[in-house]
Amino acid sequence: MAAPRRAATAAILVIASLIAIAIVGPVVTADPLRGDLDAGVSAIGAPLPPSGSAPLGTDALGRDELARVVAGAGSSLAIAALATAIAMAIGLAVGVAAGYAGGRVDGALMRSVDLVLAFPFLLLAILLAALMRARGSGEVGGTAVVVVTLGVASWPAVARVIRAKTAILARGDMVTAARALGASPWRIAVRHLAPNVATAAVALGALLFAQTLLAEAALSYVGLGPPPPAASWGRMIYEARAYYRTAPWLIAAPGVAIVVAVLAFAALAHALEERA
Amino acid sequence: MTRAWLAVAVAGACTACSADHGPRFHAAGSRTPRAGGVLHVATEQHVSTLDPALAADEVSLYAIHAMFDTLVDYAPGSTALVPRLAARWDMSADARRFTFTLRDGVTYADGAPVVAADVAASLDRARTLPDSPYGSYLADVSSIAAPDARTLAIELAHPDAAFIYTLTMSFTAPAHRAGDGALAGAGPFTLAAWEPGVRVVLARNPRYYDAARVHVAGVELRENVPADVQFLAFERGELDAVDHLAAPDYQWLAGEPAWQPYLRGASTLSAFGWRMNVRVPPFDDVRVRRALNYADDKAHALRILGGTAEIAHGLLPPGVPGRDDALAPYPHDAAAARRLLAEAGHADGLDVELVTYAGDEPERLAQSLQADLAEVGVRARIVTMSFAAYQTAIGKPDGPPLSLAAWGGDSPDPTSFLDAKLATSAIGSDASANDSFYSNPALDDLLDRARAERDPARRAELYRRAERIVFDDAPWIFEYHRRAIEVVQPYLMGYDPHPVGIHDYASAWLDREAGE
Repeated sequence: MAAPRRAATAAILVIASLIAIAIVGPVVTADPLRGDLDAGVSAIGAPLPPSGSAPLGTDALGRDELARVVAGAGSSLAIAALATAIAMAIGLAVGVAAGYAGGRVDGALMRSVDLVLAFPFLLLAILLAALMRARGSGEVGGTAVVVVTLGVASWPAVARVIRAKTAILARGDMVTAARALGASPWRIAVRHLAPNVATAAVALGALLFAQTLLAEAALSYVGLGPPPPAASWGRMIYEARAYYRTAPWLIAAPGVAIVVAVLAFAALAHALEERA
Repeated sequence: MTRAWLAVAVAGACTACSADHGPRFHAAGSRTPRAGGVLHVATEQHVSTLDPALAADEVSLYAIHAMFDTLVDYAPGSTALVPRLAARWDMSADARRFTFTLRDGVTYADGAPVVAADVAASLDRARTLPDSPYGSYLADVSSIAAPDARTLAIELAHPDAAFIYTLTMSFTAPAHRAGDGALAGAGPFTLAAWEPGVRVVLARNPRYYDAARVHVAGVELRENVPADVQFLAFERGELDAVDHLAAPDYQWLAGEPAWQPYLRGASTLSAFGWRMNVRVPPFDDVRVRRALNYADDKAHALRILGGTAEIAHGLLPPGVPGRDDALAPYPHDAAAARRLLAEAGHADGLDVELVTYAGDEPERLAQSLQADLAEVGVRARIVTMSFAAYQTAIGKPDGPPLSLAAWGGDSPDPTSFLDAKLATSAIGSDASANDSFYSNPALDDLLDRARAERDPARRAELYRRAERIVFDDAPWIFEYHRRAIEVVQPYLMGYDPHPVGIHDYASAWLDREAGE
């Protein structure tokens, strides 16, 4: 059990430092939105390579890449966290309800899960984002669209796992005893089912977080991520794709950040799963 | 975990270093043009029609220009006129009557003779086809006559020395219905195949009257290929040139010494900036318009365009006769901008809407201007429209008062810019060509006089005065003229970007050994 524990510790350390960077970083680094077409780009507008004043170089608008990666940590992690929370909330509610109630309720809820799962995840996310984008606009509105899109597109996987766990528990001695003692379904769900699916839910949440982080990048890459000039890792890669030859650091920096964060959350999920 | 990290690090390093950056292909070293081979080029857009009377987009005209010779044309790489199907032409002293004499013995690809009446028919067709965008170019034509097979006489209702440029446009080319019913011209190439949206294939016209002018056996123009994908195909040797390099690719090439001989640039007949509706406050105040011109740092636009542009002082791009090259663009002067805004009663700043359309460049231009304006207290809100919505909104009197402006001239003549965009006569009630709704009798008078002026020097002088008025009244925030930047394989000769935007496939030749 030593290896998973070490991995979990490392993952938690990485995640903690990512969060610390997201919170403290922006105070230290330059303004991630401030373009500098005077000193931040070459005479013909090419991004500048890493230097003393811009350790990760600049982008085509002359913005400091380090500042943008740091700011991107904040927005990418926040988007992933909120979207994961939405997915977990819906997934837990549906999963517990279906697993506990069984019968027709279970059937109806699981068919709705199947319906959402029948769409390829990204296609569904693009559809949702496009539908919502058509209505709202503006920076906060745009980011909210991404959060809701990712949350709504991700809950069915949670619901499935939780339902399976709940169904086993619901037929177990503990719940039967509680029911015999006259406990209300609500009390059973909160007191007996929730604590017992919690470990699985946390592991699931960590994994979902990693997936959502990647999905945000994918959504940004097809142009449906947080609107400019916001710095999110996915959007940064999207904006840098034309510069892979001229300025590879523009792809490397957010790319490495995404890989590190996803690996850390995946490792955490794995460790939690082993414990569960 | 360790191994994963290593993989990431190695992948990152490999992006940055790849051995040889120079051209992979080489010229064989011939000093005289070689014949043969197929020229492979591509476009981001698609060919919409091969009918010269209907084609309005640049790319359709690439193919059409190769298939339909006109009476007069532009010399390779220059705005000077050269005779093509016309052996010679003459303009009357009052700049109202143009007479062309056709070459002897010119035929279409199927052997049918080209006669002056064919040109008259093409002009009539453009005037009468409801879908032709070219009828208006002939609005001033009062009579077209073909007294014999080789003579064409065109008379205008009003003097217009610039009318000769109209005869370089493909819709004026003689054409006839070939055996298969398709419209065919007397150009250096004929159509071999067209898969709409995929590619146009041209083959050398065996009956072309000036056979020595054509070198390649054919041309393949691939459609709908994004600029960055074109560059990848170019690197693999699948394309012989990239006509419109994406800025990042240009920036990369510009930093590679081995590529310098193969990078070509030319000013295009274009003007970019931000049009202001001069009838709508606050843009009805010339002080505000000048202030915005001072506030805008044009060097930023150049950098956004990746160096593929030059700064504008007005609408006339370099190379157009009558452009006052000595007129310096509005400098970036935030203090002057603030002073003018204060004089105009906007000491506390100003709120404006900046309308642009979706796309990397138009959005970045808007962001850059927004930042420049913020520096002088103008709070600009960016509104990004779809290109279709933008096109519909522009040119309406109640449309967006401040919006991204892009204009491409038809000919290297000031009329194509000043008359088209700023003359009172160009104001319409809907889809107005004069979309800043600028109207100034003094400018109108100069433009009218210049149109009728036969003497190039006097004509140029009138346009220089017109330029000064436009500069002072600032109906646009003048920003830049685009440069066409292309890269060619070392073995591709005679294929330079043309200042009027045509693509002369006839002058191109491939210096490759047979079988290479």
